Amino acid sequence: MTAKPMYRSDKLLYYSLLPFAAIVIAAFIMLFVVLGYVSAPALHRYGIGLFTTTKWAPNEANPSKSVYGLLAPLFGTLVSSVIAVLLALPVTVSVVLVIEEYAPERLRELIGSVIEVMAGLPTIVYGLWGLEVLAPFLREHIYSPLHQLLGFIPLFSCKPITGFNLATAGVLLSIMILPYMVAVARDAYRSIPFTYKEAALAIGATRYEYAKIMMGLAKPGIIAAALLGFGRAAGETVAVALVVGNVPLVSSCLFKPAYTISSLIANQFSMAPLYPYMMSVLFTGGLVLLLIGMAANTVAVIMITRARKRLG
Amino acid sequence: MADPRIIKEKVFLATIFALTILGILPVFHVLAEVIVKGSRAIARHGLGILTSTSNGILASLVGSAILSILASLLGIPLAIAAGLFVAEFSDTKLAKITRVVSRSLLEVPTVLLGMLVYIVVVVPTGSFSLLAGAIALALVMLPYVMVHVEQAIESVPPIYREAGYSIGMTRAEVLLGVVAGVARRGIATGVLMGFAKAMGETAPLLFTIGAARTTLPCTCNTPLANVLNPGDAVPLMIFQYAQMPQKIYHDMAWAGSLILVAAFLVVFLAVRLLVKEVRT
Repeated sequence: MTAKPMYRSDKLLYYSLLPFAAIVIAAFIMLFVVLGYVSAPALHRYGIGLFTTTKWAPNEANPSKSVYGLLAPLFGTLVSSVIAVLLALPVTVSVVLVIEEYAPERLRELIGSVIEVMAGLPTIVYGLWGLEVLAPFLREHIYSPLHQLLGFIPLFSCKPITGFNLATAGVLLSIMILPYMVAVARDAYRSIPFTYKEAALAIGATRYEYAKIMMGLAKPGIIAAALLGFGRAAGETVAVALVVGNVPLVSSCLFKPAYTISSLIANQFSMAPLYPYMMSVLFTGGLVLLLIGMAANTVAVIMITRARKRLG
Repeated sequence: MADPRIIKEKVFLATIFALTILGILPVFHVLAEVIVKGSRAIARHGLGILTSTSNGILASLVGSAILSILASLLGIPLAIAAGLFVAEFSDTKLAKITRVVSRSLLEVPTVLLGMLVYIVVVVPTGSFSLLAGAIALALVMLPYVMVHVEQAIESVPPIYREAGYSIGMTRAEVLLGVVAGVARRGIATGVLMGFAKAMGETAPLLFTIGAARTTLPCTCNTPLANVLNPGDAVPLMIFQYAQMPQKIYHDMAWAGSLILVAAFLVVFLAVRLLVKEVRT
Protein backbone atom coordinates (compact mmCIF):
# COMPACT_ATOMS: atom_id res chain seq x y z
CA MET A 1 0.00 0.00 0.00
CA THR A 2 2.53 2.61 1.03
CA ALA A 3 6.20 3.10 0.40
CA LYS A 4 6.99 4.23 3.91
CA PRO A 5 5.51 2.99 7.19
CA MET A 6 3.12 5.49 8.76
CA TYR A 7 2.27 6.45 12.30
CA ARG A 8 -1.22 5.82 13.56
CA SER A 9 -2.25 9.46 13.36
CA ASP A 10 -0.86 9.64 9.82
CA LYS A 11 -2.83 6.58 8.89
CA LEU A 12 -5.94 8.28 10.16
CA LEU A 13 -5.32 11.16 7.75
CA TYR A 14 -4.61 8.72 4.93
CA TYR A 15 -7.81 6.78 5.50
CA SER A 16 -9.97 9.86 5.96
CA LEU A 17 -8.83 11.39 2.65
CA LEU A 18 -8.82 8.05 0.81
CA PRO A 19 -12.60 7.84 0.20
CA PHE A 20 -12.49 11.10 -1.78
CA ALA A 21 -9.74 9.80 -4.04
CA ALA A 22 -11.77 6.61 -4.39
CA ILE A 23 -14.80 8.61 -5.56
CA VAL A 24 -12.68 10.22 -8.30
CA ILE A 25 -11.45 6.83 -9.50
CA ALA A 26 -14.93 5.32 -9.23
CA ALA A 27 -16.44 8.12 -11.36
CA PHE A 28 -13.84 7.50 -14.04
CA ILE A 29 -14.40 3.74 -14.08
CA MET A 30 -18.16 4.28 -14.07
CA LEU A 31 -17.85 6.42 -17.19
CA PHE A 32 -16.26 3.54 -19.11
CA VAL A 33 -18.65 0.96 -17.70
CA VAL A 34 -21.79 2.98 -18.45
CA LEU A 35 -20.70 3.93 -21.98
CA GLY A 36 -19.70 0.33 -22.69
CA TYR A 37 -22.86 -1.12 -21.16
CA VAL A 38 -25.29 1.14 -23.03
CA SER A 39 -23.32 0.76 -26.30
CA ALA A 40 -23.38 -3.03 -26.19
CA PRO A 41 -26.82 -3.61 -27.80
CA ALA A 42 -25.97 -1.42 -30.82
CA LEU A 43 -22.54 -2.99 -31.25
CA HIS A 44 -24.15 -6.39 -31.02
CA ARG A 45 -26.88 -5.62 -33.51
CA TYR A 46 -25.03 -3.56 -36.12
CA GLY A 47 -21.44 -4.67 -35.51
CA ILE A 48 -18.74 -3.05 -37.59
CA GLY A 49 -21.45 -1.87 -40.02
CA LEU A 50 -22.07 0.98 -37.58
CA PHE A 51 -18.78 2.55 -38.70
CA THR A 52 -19.09 1.83 -42.43
CA THR A 53 -22.58 3.25 -43.01
CA THR A 54 -23.27 6.94 -43.60
CA LYS A 55 -27.06 6.67 -43.58
CA TRP A 56 -28.86 7.99 -40.49
CA ALA A 57 -32.51 7.03 -40.89
CA PRO A 58 -34.60 6.42 -37.80
CA ASN A 59 -37.83 4.74 -38.89
CA GLU A 60 -40.82 5.79 -36.85
CA ALA A 61 -43.39 3.42 -38.35
CA ASN A 62 -41.18 0.38 -38.27
CA PRO A 63 -38.33 0.77 -35.75
CA SER A 64 -36.68 -2.48 -36.84
CA LYS A 65 -36.03 -0.89 -40.24
CA SER A 66 -34.13 2.01 -38.68
CA VAL A 67 -30.62 2.44 -40.06
CA TYR A 68 -27.93 4.13 -38.02
CA GLY A 69 -24.46 4.81 -39.38
CA LEU A 70 -21.68 6.63 -37.58
CA LEU A 71 -19.29 6.89 -40.54
CA ALA A 72 -20.26 10.46 -41.48
CA PRO A 73 -20.00 11.88 -37.94
CA LEU A 74 -16.73 10.00 -37.36
CA PHE A 75 -15.37 11.41 -40.62
CA GLY A 76 -16.55 14.91 -39.66
CA THR A 77 -14.98 14.70 -36.20
CA LEU A 78 -11.62 13.57 -37.59
CA VAL A 79 -11.51 16.06 -40.49
CA SER A 80 -12.66 19.11 -38.51
CA SER A 81 -10.18 18.29 -35.72
CA VAL A 82 -7.31 17.78 -38.18
CA ILE A 83 -8.12 21.14 -39.86
CA ALA A 84 -8.21 22.77 -36.41
CA VAL A 85 -4.81 21.37 -35.41
CA LEU A 86 -3.19 22.22 -38.77
CA LEU A 87 -4.41 25.82 -38.52
CA ALA A 88 -3.55 26.22 -34.85
CA LEU A 89 -0.09 24.63 -34.95
CA PRO A 90 1.88 27.41 -36.73
CA VAL A 91 0.12 29.99 -34.59
CA THR A 92 0.95 28.02 -31.43
CA VAL A 93 4.64 27.90 -32.33
CA SER A 94 4.64 31.63 -33.13
CA VAL A 95 2.87 32.60 -29.91
CA VAL A 96 5.27 30.50 -27.81
CA LEU A 97 8.33 32.07 -29.46
CA VAL A 98 6.91 35.57 -29.15
CA ILE A 99 6.00 35.19 -25.46
CA GLU A 100 9.14 33.31 -24.47
CA GLU A 101 11.74 35.12 -26.54
CA TYR A 102 10.98 38.14 -28.61
CA ALA A 103 8.25 40.26 -27.03
CA PRO A 104 9.10 42.95 -24.47
CA GLU A 105 8.05 42.23 -20.87
CA ARG A 106 4.77 44.23 -20.89
CA LEU A 107 3.59 42.79 -24.19
CA ARG A 108 4.50 39.30 -22.99
CA GLU A 109 2.20 39.63 -19.96
CA LEU A 110 -0.58 41.09 -22.09
CA ILE A 111 -0.47 38.25 -24.61
CA GLY A 112 -0.34 35.75 -21.74
CA SER A 113 -3.48 37.22 -20.18
CA VAL A 114 -5.32 37.29 -23.49
CA ILE A 115 -4.50 33.62 -24.03
CA GLU A 116 -5.87 32.84 -20.56
CA VAL A 117 -9.11 34.69 -21.32
CA MET A 118 -9.34 32.71 -24.56
CA ALA A 119 -8.99 29.45 -22.64
CA GLY A 120 -11.62 30.32 -20.08
CA LEU A 121 -14.29 31.94 -22.23
CA PRO A 122 -17.42 29.73 -22.24
CA THR A 123 -17.42 27.60 -25.39
CA ILE A 124 -21.05 28.47 -26.14
CA VAL A 125 -19.99 32.10 -26.64
CA TYR A 126 -17.55 30.98 -29.34
CA GLY A 127 -20.42 28.98 -30.81
CA LEU A 128 -22.79 31.93 -30.97
CA TRP A 129 -20.05 34.09 -32.48
CA GLY A 130 -19.24 31.34 -34.98
CA LEU A 131 -22.87 31.06 -35.99
CA GLU A 132 -23.67 34.74 -36.40
CA VAL A 133 -20.30 36.29 -37.28
CA LEU A 134 -17.63 33.83 -38.36
CA ALA A 135 -19.66 31.57 -40.69
CA PRO A 136 -21.13 34.39 -42.84
CA PHE A 137 -17.74 36.15 -42.93
CA LEU A 138 -15.84 33.06 -44.05
CA ARG A 139 -18.43 32.20 -46.71
CA GLU A 140 -18.33 35.68 -48.19
CA HIS A 141 -14.63 36.50 -48.00
CA ILE A 142 -12.79 33.19 -47.93
CA TYR A 143 -14.84 30.27 -49.27
CA SER A 144 -16.40 32.01 -52.31
CA PRO A 145 -13.06 33.37 -53.62
CA LEU A 146 -11.38 30.02 -52.90
CA HIS A 147 -14.10 28.19 -54.81
CA GLN A 148 -13.87 30.54 -57.78
CA LEU A 149 -10.06 30.58 -57.99
CA LEU A 150 -9.19 27.05 -56.89
CA GLY A 151 -12.43 25.18 -57.62
CA PHE A 152 -10.49 22.48 -59.50
CA ILE A 153 -9.07 21.25 -56.17
CA PRO A 154 -11.54 18.73 -54.72
CA LEU A 155 -11.38 20.37 -51.28
CA PHE A 156 -12.86 23.58 -52.70
CA SER A 157 -14.89 22.08 -55.56
CA CYS A 158 -18.40 22.64 -54.22
CA LYS A 159 -20.20 25.95 -54.01
CA PRO A 160 -20.34 27.27 -50.42
CA ILE A 161 -24.12 27.64 -50.19
CA THR A 162 -24.03 28.45 -46.48
CA GLY A 163 -21.16 29.11 -44.13
CA PHE A 164 -22.11 26.08 -42.01
CA ASN A 165 -19.71 23.34 -42.98
CA LEU A 166 -16.60 21.35 -42.03
CA ALA A 167 -14.27 24.23 -42.89
CA THR A 168 -16.01 26.62 -40.49
CA ALA A 169 -16.04 23.97 -37.76
CA GLY A 170 -12.30 23.53 -38.28
CA VAL A 171 -11.57 27.27 -38.16
CA LEU A 172 -13.71 27.82 -35.03
CA LEU A 173 -12.11 24.82 -33.31
CA SER A 174 -8.63 26.09 -34.17
CA ILE A 175 -9.41 29.31 -32.31
CA MET A 176 -10.81 27.39 -29.34
CA ILE A 177 -7.92 24.90 -28.96
CA LEU A 178 -5.15 27.48 -29.47
CA PRO A 179 -4.83 28.42 -25.76
CA TYR A 180 -4.54 24.75 -24.69
CA MET A 181 -1.92 24.05 -27.32
CA VAL A 182 0.03 27.17 -26.33
CA ALA A 183 -0.02 26.11 -22.66
CA VAL A 184 1.37 22.64 -23.42
CA ALA A 185 3.94 23.85 -25.97
CA ARG A 186 5.05 26.66 -23.65
CA ASP A 187 5.73 24.20 -20.83
CA ALA A 188 7.82 22.11 -23.21
CA TYR A 189 9.71 25.17 -24.41
CA ARG A 190 10.49 26.26 -20.86
CA SER A 191 11.88 22.84 -20.00
CA ILE A 192 14.72 23.27 -22.51
CA PRO A 193 17.85 23.71 -20.34
CA PHE A 194 19.46 27.11 -20.49
CA THR A 195 22.79 25.68 -21.63
CA TYR A 196 21.25 24.72 -24.99
CA LYS A 197 20.06 28.29 -25.47
CA GLU A 198 23.48 29.66 -24.57
CA ALA A 199 25.14 27.21 -26.94
CA ALA A 200 22.89 28.25 -29.82
CA LEU A 201 23.55 31.93 -29.17
CA ALA A 202 27.29 31.35 -28.71
CA ILE A 203 27.71 29.95 -32.21
CA GLY A 204 26.20 33.16 -33.56
CA ALA A 205 22.81 31.84 -34.64
CA THR A 206 20.40 34.43 -36.02
CA ARG A 207 17.05 34.59 -34.29
CA TYR A 208 15.61 32.42 -37.05
CA GLU A 209 18.30 29.79 -36.69
CA TYR A 210 18.01 29.95 -32.91
CA ALA A 211 14.24 29.40 -33.07
CA LYS A 212 14.76 26.49 -35.44
CA ILE A 213 17.17 24.79 -33.02
CA MET A 214 14.88 25.42 -30.04
CA MET A 215 11.83 24.10 -31.88
CA GLY A 216 13.80 20.99 -32.73
CA LEU A 217 14.43 20.49 -29.01
CA ALA A 218 10.82 21.25 -28.05
CA LYS A 219 9.45 18.99 -30.78
CA PRO A 220 8.02 16.22 -28.55
CA GLY A 221 6.21 18.91 -26.54
CA ILE A 222 4.85 20.48 -29.71
CA ILE A 223 3.59 17.09 -30.88
CA ALA A 224 2.00 16.58 -27.46
CA ALA A 225 0.31 19.99 -27.83
CA ALA A 226 -1.04 18.96 -31.23
CA LEU A 227 -2.39 15.69 -29.84
CA LEU A 228 -4.07 17.31 -26.83
CA GLY A 229 -5.49 19.98 -29.14
CA PHE A 230 -6.84 17.23 -31.38
CA GLY A 231 -8.50 15.53 -28.41
CA ARG A 232 -10.10 18.81 -27.30
CA ALA A 233 -11.33 19.55 -30.80
CA ALA A 234 -12.83 16.07 -31.20
CA GLY A 235 -14.76 16.38 -27.95
CA GLU A 236 -16.04 19.94 -28.38
CA THR A 237 -19.82 19.79 -28.67
CA VAL A 238 -22.06 22.83 -28.65
CA ALA A 239 -19.90 25.30 -30.57
CA VAL A 240 -19.41 22.77 -33.36
CA ALA A 241 -23.08 21.80 -33.40
CA LEU A 242 -23.93 25.43 -34.18
CA VAL A 243 -21.60 25.77 -37.20
CA VAL A 244 -21.02 22.35 -38.76
CA GLY A 245 -24.33 22.17 -40.64
CA ASN A 246 -25.54 18.91 -39.07
CA VAL A 247 -26.00 16.83 -42.24
CA PRO A 248 -24.56 13.29 -42.31
CA LEU A 249 -22.37 13.59 -45.43
CA VAL A 250 -18.97 12.23 -46.33
CA SER A 251 -17.50 14.47 -49.00
CA SER A 252 -14.06 15.51 -50.18
CA CYS A 253 -15.31 19.10 -50.32
CA LEU A 254 -14.86 21.15 -47.15
CA PHE A 255 -17.73 23.50 -48.03
CA LYS A 256 -20.41 20.83 -47.65
CA PRO A 257 -22.35 20.67 -44.38
CA ALA A 258 -21.30 17.77 -42.18
CA TYR A 259 -21.78 16.17 -38.77
CA THR A 260 -19.47 15.36 -35.90
CA ILE A 261 -20.01 12.64 -33.27
CA SER A 262 -20.49 15.16 -30.50
CA SER A 263 -22.89 17.34 -32.49
CA LEU A 264 -24.84 14.21 -33.48
CA ILE A 265 -25.18 13.35 -29.79
CA ALA A 266 -26.21 16.94 -28.94
CA ASN A 267 -28.89 17.00 -31.65
CA GLN A 268 -30.31 13.49 -31.53
CA PHE A 269 -30.16 12.63 -27.84
CA SER A 270 -33.53 14.14 -26.94
CA MET A 271 -35.31 11.96 -29.54
CA ALA A 272 -33.29 8.86 -28.82
CA PRO A 273 -35.54 7.37 -26.11
CA LEU A 274 -38.34 7.21 -28.71
CA TYR A 275 -36.44 4.87 -31.03
CA PRO A 276 -35.05 1.48 -30.07
CA TYR A 277 -31.26 1.24 -30.45
CA MET A 278 -30.77 4.97 -31.18
CA MET A 279 -29.65 5.71 -27.63
CA SER A 280 -27.30 2.76 -27.78
CA VAL A 281 -25.84 3.98 -31.09
CA LEU A 282 -25.27 7.46 -29.65
CA PHE A 283 -23.49 5.93 -26.66
CA THR A 284 -21.31 3.96 -29.07
CA GLY A 285 -20.39 7.30 -30.62
CA GLY A 286 -19.61 8.59 -27.13
CA LEU A 287 -17.44 5.56 -26.44
CA VAL A 288 -15.49 6.25 -29.66
CA LEU A 289 -14.99 9.87 -28.56
CA LEU A 290 -13.75 8.70 -25.17
CA LEU A 291 -11.29 6.30 -26.77
CA ILE A 292 -10.02 9.00 -29.18
CA GLY A 293 -9.55 11.40 -26.25
CA MET A 294 -7.79 8.82 -24.06
CA ALA A 295 -5.50 7.69 -26.90
CA ALA A 296 -4.48 11.28 -27.69
CA ASN A 297 -3.93 11.98 -23.99
CA THR A 298 -1.86 8.83 -23.39
CA VAL A 299 0.44 9.40 -26.37
CA ALA A 300 0.84 13.07 -25.39
CA VAL A 301 1.82 12.15 -21.81
CA ILE A 302 4.35 9.60 -23.13
CA MET A 303 5.84 12.23 -25.47
CA ILE A 304 6.17 14.77 -22.65
CA THR A 305 7.76 12.28 -20.24
CA ARG A 306 10.20 11.10 -22.89
CA ALA A 307 11.17 14.68 -23.75
CA ARG A 308 11.81 15.47 -20.06
CA LYS A 309 14.09 12.45 -19.75
CA ARG A 310 16.00 13.28 -22.92
CA LEU A 311 16.68 16.86 -21.98
CA GLY A 312 17.52 15.80 -18.43
CA MET B 1 23.67 43.74 -50.32
CA ALA B 2 22.12 42.51 -47.10
CA ASP B 3 23.10 39.17 -45.74
CA PRO B 4 20.47 36.55 -46.75
CA ARG B 5 20.61 35.20 -43.20
CA ILE B 6 19.56 38.60 -41.88
CA ILE B 7 16.76 38.87 -44.44
CA LYS B 8 15.57 35.42 -43.43
CA GLU B 9 15.60 36.51 -39.79
CA LYS B 10 13.54 39.63 -40.56
CA VAL B 11 10.97 37.68 -42.58
CA PHE B 12 10.78 35.07 -39.81
CA LEU B 13 10.21 37.64 -37.07
CA ALA B 14 7.56 39.43 -39.11
CA THR B 15 5.81 36.10 -39.74
CA ILE B 16 5.66 34.98 -36.12
CA PHE B 17 4.47 38.38 -34.90
CA ALA B 18 1.80 38.44 -37.63
CA LEU B 19 0.64 34.90 -36.75
CA THR B 20 0.53 35.79 -33.04
CA ILE B 21 -1.66 38.80 -33.77
CA LEU B 22 -3.85 36.67 -36.05
CA GLY B 23 -4.13 34.10 -33.27
CA ILE B 24 -5.32 36.44 -30.54
CA LEU B 25 -7.38 38.76 -32.73
CA PRO B 26 -10.52 36.53 -32.74
CA VAL B 27 -10.99 36.74 -28.97
CA PHE B 28 -11.09 40.54 -29.13
CA HIS B 29 -13.69 40.29 -31.88
CA VAL B 30 -15.73 37.81 -29.85
CA LEU B 31 -15.66 40.11 -26.81
CA ALA B 32 -16.53 43.18 -28.88
CA GLU B 33 -19.45 41.41 -30.58
CA VAL B 34 -20.79 40.13 -27.26
CA ILE B 35 -20.65 43.62 -25.72
CA VAL B 36 -22.18 45.37 -28.75
CA LYS B 37 -24.88 42.82 -29.60
CA GLY B 38 -25.66 42.06 -25.95
CA SER B 39 -26.12 45.68 -24.93
CA ARG B 40 -28.03 46.42 -28.13
CA ALA B 41 -30.44 43.57 -27.32
CA ILE B 42 -30.96 44.92 -23.80
CA ALA B 43 -31.46 48.45 -25.16
CA ARG B 44 -34.00 47.20 -27.72
CA HIS B 45 -36.15 45.14 -25.35
CA GLY B 46 -35.49 46.93 -22.08
CA LEU B 47 -34.35 45.32 -18.86
CA GLY B 48 -37.35 43.00 -19.10
CA ILE B 49 -35.20 40.76 -21.27
CA LEU B 50 -33.24 39.95 -18.13
CA THR B 51 -35.97 40.08 -15.50
CA SER B 52 -38.90 38.31 -17.13
CA THR B 53 -39.53 34.60 -17.52
CA SER B 54 -42.03 34.86 -20.37
CA ASN B 55 -40.04 36.95 -22.83
CA GLY B 56 -36.78 37.20 -20.96
CA ILE B 57 -34.04 34.99 -19.65
CA LEU B 58 -34.66 35.20 -15.90
CA ALA B 59 -35.20 31.45 -15.50
CA SER B 60 -31.82 30.76 -17.12
CA LEU B 61 -30.04 33.31 -14.95
CA VAL B 62 -31.56 31.87 -11.77
CA GLY B 63 -30.87 28.33 -12.96
CA SER B 64 -27.24 29.12 -13.74
CA ALA B 65 -26.74 30.69 -10.31
CA ILE B 66 -28.23 27.65 -8.55
CA LEU B 67 -26.28 25.23 -10.74
CA SER B 68 -22.90 26.93 -10.26
CA ILE B 69 -23.32 27.12 -6.49
CA LEU B 70 -24.68 23.59 -6.13
CA ALA B 71 -21.98 22.16 -8.40
CA SER B 72 -19.35 23.98 -6.35
CA LEU B 73 -20.80 22.64 -3.09
CA LEU B 74 -20.61 19.11 -4.47
CA GLY B 75 -17.40 19.34 -6.46
CA ILE B 76 -15.06 21.61 -4.53
CA PRO B 77 -14.86 19.74 -1.19
CA LEU B 78 -14.35 16.51 -3.14
CA ALA B 79 -11.69 18.10 -5.33
CA ILE B 80 -9.84 19.65 -2.39
CA ALA B 81 -9.87 16.42 -0.35
CA ALA B 82 -8.76 14.32 -3.33
CA GLY B 83 -6.15 16.92 -4.27
CA LEU B 84 -4.77 16.94 -0.70
CA PHE B 85 -4.60 13.16 -0.78
CA VAL B 86 -2.71 13.10 -4.09
CA ALA B 87 -0.26 15.81 -3.00
CA GLU B 88 0.30 14.60 0.58
CA PHE B 89 0.59 10.86 -0.07
CA SER B 90 2.22 11.23 -3.48
CA ASP B 91 4.50 8.24 -2.82
CA THR B 92 1.59 5.82 -2.45
CA LYS B 93 0.25 3.79 -5.35
CA LEU B 94 -3.32 4.95 -4.88
CA ALA B 95 -2.30 8.62 -5.03
CA LYS B 96 -0.38 7.98 -8.25
CA ILE B 97 -3.40 6.29 -9.79
CA THR B 98 -5.68 9.10 -8.64
CA ARG B 99 -3.37 11.64 -10.23
CA VAL B 100 -3.37 9.84 -13.58
CA VAL B 101 -7.15 9.43 -13.44
CA SER B 102 -7.74 13.11 -12.67
CA ARG B 103 -5.47 14.14 -15.57
CA SER B 104 -7.44 11.80 -17.82
CA LEU B 105 -10.75 13.23 -16.59
CA LEU B 106 -9.44 16.61 -17.71
CA GLU B 107 -9.37 15.33 -21.31
CA VAL B 108 -12.76 13.58 -21.25
CA PRO B 109 -15.20 15.45 -23.53
CA THR B 110 -17.70 17.08 -21.18
CA VAL B 111 -20.69 15.89 -23.20
CA LEU B 112 -19.83 12.34 -22.05
CA LEU B 113 -20.13 13.38 -18.41
CA GLY B 114 -23.64 14.58 -19.25
CA MET B 115 -24.44 11.20 -20.78
CA LEU B 116 -23.06 9.42 -17.71
CA VAL B 117 -25.23 11.48 -15.36
CA TYR B 118 -28.24 10.92 -17.61
CA ILE B 119 -27.93 7.16 -17.15
CA VAL B 120 -26.88 7.21 -13.49
CA VAL B 121 -29.12 10.00 -12.13
CA VAL B 122 -31.81 11.13 -14.60
CA VAL B 123 -33.06 7.69 -15.66
CA PRO B 124 -33.30 6.20 -12.13
CA THR B 125 -34.97 9.32 -10.67
CA GLY B 126 -37.27 9.54 -13.67
CA SER B 127 -36.84 13.26 -14.14
CA PHE B 128 -34.46 15.93 -15.35
CA SER B 129 -33.30 18.08 -12.46
CA LEU B 130 -30.98 20.89 -11.48
CA LEU B 131 -29.35 18.41 -9.11
CA ALA B 132 -28.47 16.10 -12.01
CA GLY B 133 -26.99 19.06 -13.88
CA ALA B 134 -25.01 20.10 -10.83
CA ILE B 135 -23.59 16.58 -10.45
CA ALA B 136 -22.47 16.65 -14.09
CA LEU B 137 -20.90 20.09 -13.61
CA ALA B 138 -19.21 18.93 -10.40
CA LEU B 139 -17.55 16.14 -12.41
CA VAL B 140 -16.43 18.71 -15.01
CA MET B 141 -14.83 21.02 -12.45
CA LEU B 142 -13.35 18.25 -10.29
CA PRO B 143 -10.09 17.66 -12.22
CA TYR B 144 -9.47 21.41 -12.75
CA VAL B 145 -9.73 22.20 -9.06
CA MET B 146 -7.68 19.12 -8.16
CA VAL B 147 -4.77 20.20 -10.38
CA HIS B 148 -4.70 23.63 -8.73
CA VAL B 149 -4.90 22.19 -5.20
CA GLU B 150 -2.10 19.71 -5.90
CA GLN B 151 0.14 22.39 -7.36
CA ALA B 152 -0.60 24.77 -4.49
CA ILE B 153 0.26 22.12 -1.87
CA GLU B 154 3.38 20.98 -3.70
CA SER B 155 4.70 24.52 -4.04
CA VAL B 156 4.79 25.05 -0.26
CA PRO B 157 8.47 25.03 0.81
CA PRO B 158 9.35 21.99 3.01
CA ILE B 159 10.60 24.31 5.75
CA TYR B 160 6.98 24.93 6.83
CA ARG B 161 6.38 21.21 7.28
CA GLU B 162 9.63 20.79 9.17
CA ALA B 163 8.69 23.62 11.50
CA GLY B 164 5.33 21.97 12.16
CA TYR B 165 6.82 18.52 12.77
CA SER B 166 9.54 19.94 15.01
CA ILE B 167 7.00 21.22 17.50
CA GLY B 168 5.34 17.81 17.56
CA MET B 169 2.37 18.35 15.27
CA THR B 170 0.88 15.30 13.58
CA ARG B 171 0.81 14.98 9.80
CA ALA B 172 -2.86 15.95 9.71
CA GLU B 173 -2.23 19.04 11.82
CA VAL B 174 0.68 20.06 9.60
CA LEU B 175 -1.24 19.48 6.37
CA LEU B 176 -4.50 21.12 7.39
CA GLY B 177 -3.19 23.71 9.83
CA VAL B 178 0.08 24.81 8.23
CA VAL B 179 0.53 23.67 4.62
CA ALA B 180 -3.05 24.27 3.49
CA GLY B 181 -2.90 27.68 5.14
CA VAL B 182 0.25 28.65 3.26
CA ALA B 183 -1.26 27.32 0.03
CA ARG B 184 -4.66 28.93 0.56
CA ARG B 185 -4.36 31.43 -2.28
CA GLY B 186 -3.45 28.72 -4.74
CA ILE B 187 -6.40 26.67 -3.53
CA ALA B 188 -8.70 29.69 -3.78
CA THR B 189 -7.52 30.22 -7.36
CA GLY B 190 -8.45 26.63 -8.17
CA VAL B 191 -11.86 27.05 -6.56
CA LEU B 192 -12.57 30.18 -8.62
CA MET B 193 -11.37 28.55 -11.84
CA GLY B 194 -13.62 25.57 -11.14
CA PHE B 195 -16.56 27.87 -10.47
CA ALA B 196 -15.97 29.72 -13.76
CA LYS B 197 -15.78 26.38 -15.59
CA ALA B 198 -19.08 25.20 -14.08
CA MET B 199 -20.75 28.50 -14.95
CA GLY B 200 -19.86 28.36 -18.63
CA GLU B 201 -20.33 24.71 -19.53
CA THR B 202 -23.16 23.69 -21.85
CA ALA B 203 -22.70 20.11 -22.99
CA PRO B 204 -23.10 18.44 -19.55
CA LEU B 205 -26.49 20.15 -19.19
CA LEU B 206 -27.98 19.02 -22.51
CA PHE B 207 -29.40 15.79 -21.11
CA THR B 208 -29.59 16.57 -17.41
CA ILE B 209 -31.50 19.73 -16.47
CA GLY B 210 -34.41 19.60 -18.89
CA ALA B 211 -34.37 23.23 -20.10
CA ALA B 212 -37.45 24.32 -18.11
CA ARG B 213 -37.41 28.03 -18.81
CA THR B 214 -41.00 29.20 -18.61
CA THR B 215 -41.18 28.88 -14.83
CA LEU B 216 -38.68 29.65 -12.14
CA PRO B 217 -37.29 26.69 -10.21
CA CYS B 218 -38.21 28.45 -6.95
CA THR B 219 -42.00 28.38 -7.22
CA CYS B 220 -42.25 25.40 -4.92
CA ASN B 221 -42.05 25.58 -1.14
CA THR B 222 -38.91 23.83 0.04
CA PRO B 223 -35.49 24.56 -1.33
CA LEU B 224 -34.74 20.84 -1.55
CA ALA B 225 -37.62 20.33 -3.97
CA ASN B 226 -36.27 23.13 -6.16
CA VAL B 227 -33.11 21.35 -7.15
CA LEU B 228 -35.01 18.15 -7.82
CA ASN B 229 -37.05 20.02 -10.41
CA PRO B 230 -35.97 20.66 -13.99
CA GLY B 231 -34.44 24.05 -14.66
CA ASP B 232 -32.50 26.05 -17.18
CA ALA B 233 -29.03 27.56 -17.53
CA VAL B 234 -27.70 30.49 -19.54
CA PRO B 235 -25.34 28.45 -21.77
CA LEU B 236 -28.08 25.94 -22.60
CA MET B 237 -30.52 28.75 -23.37
CA ILE B 238 -27.97 30.35 -25.73
CA PHE B 239 -27.40 27.03 -27.50
CA GLN B 240 -31.10 26.43 -28.08
CA TYR B 241 -32.13 30.01 -28.85
CA ALA B 242 -29.26 30.44 -31.33
CA GLN B 243 -30.89 27.75 -33.47
CA MET B 244 -34.27 29.50 -33.58
CA PRO B 245 -35.12 31.54 -36.66
CA GLN B 246 -36.80 34.49 -34.85
CA LYS B 247 -34.68 37.50 -34.02
CA ILE B 248 -36.01 37.89 -30.47
CA TYR B 249 -34.42 34.57 -29.51
CA HIS B 250 -31.08 35.64 -30.93
CA ASP B 251 -31.33 38.85 -28.94
CA MET B 252 -31.93 36.85 -25.78
CA ALA B 253 -28.96 34.63 -26.65
CA TRP B 254 -26.69 37.68 -27.02
CA ALA B 255 -28.02 39.27 -23.82
CA GLY B 256 -27.30 35.98 -22.02
CA SER B 257 -23.80 35.90 -23.53
CA LEU B 258 -23.14 39.39 -22.22
CA ILE B 259 -24.07 38.37 -18.68
CA LEU B 260 -22.08 35.13 -18.96
CA VAL B 261 -18.96 36.86 -20.27
CA ALA B 262 -19.23 39.62 -17.67
CA ALA B 263 -19.50 37.01 -14.89
CA PHE B 264 -16.52 35.13 -16.31
CA LEU B 265 -14.39 38.28 -16.50
CA VAL B 266 -15.21 39.14 -12.87
CA VAL B 267 -14.00 35.70 -11.74
CA PHE B 268 -10.96 36.02 -14.03
CA LEU B 269 -10.00 39.37 -12.49
CA ALA B 270 -10.46 37.94 -8.98
CA VAL B 271 -8.03 35.15 -9.87
CA ARG B 272 -5.59 37.72 -11.26
CA LEU B 273 -5.69 39.72 -8.03
CA LEU B 274 -5.15 36.58 -5.93
CA VAL B 275 -2.17 35.52 -8.01
CA LYS B 276 -0.67 38.98 -8.01
CA GLU B 277 -0.84 39.31 -4.23
CA VAL B 278 1.05 36.05 -3.89
CA ARG B 279 3.90 37.35 -6.02
CA THR B 280 4.46 40.53 -4.03
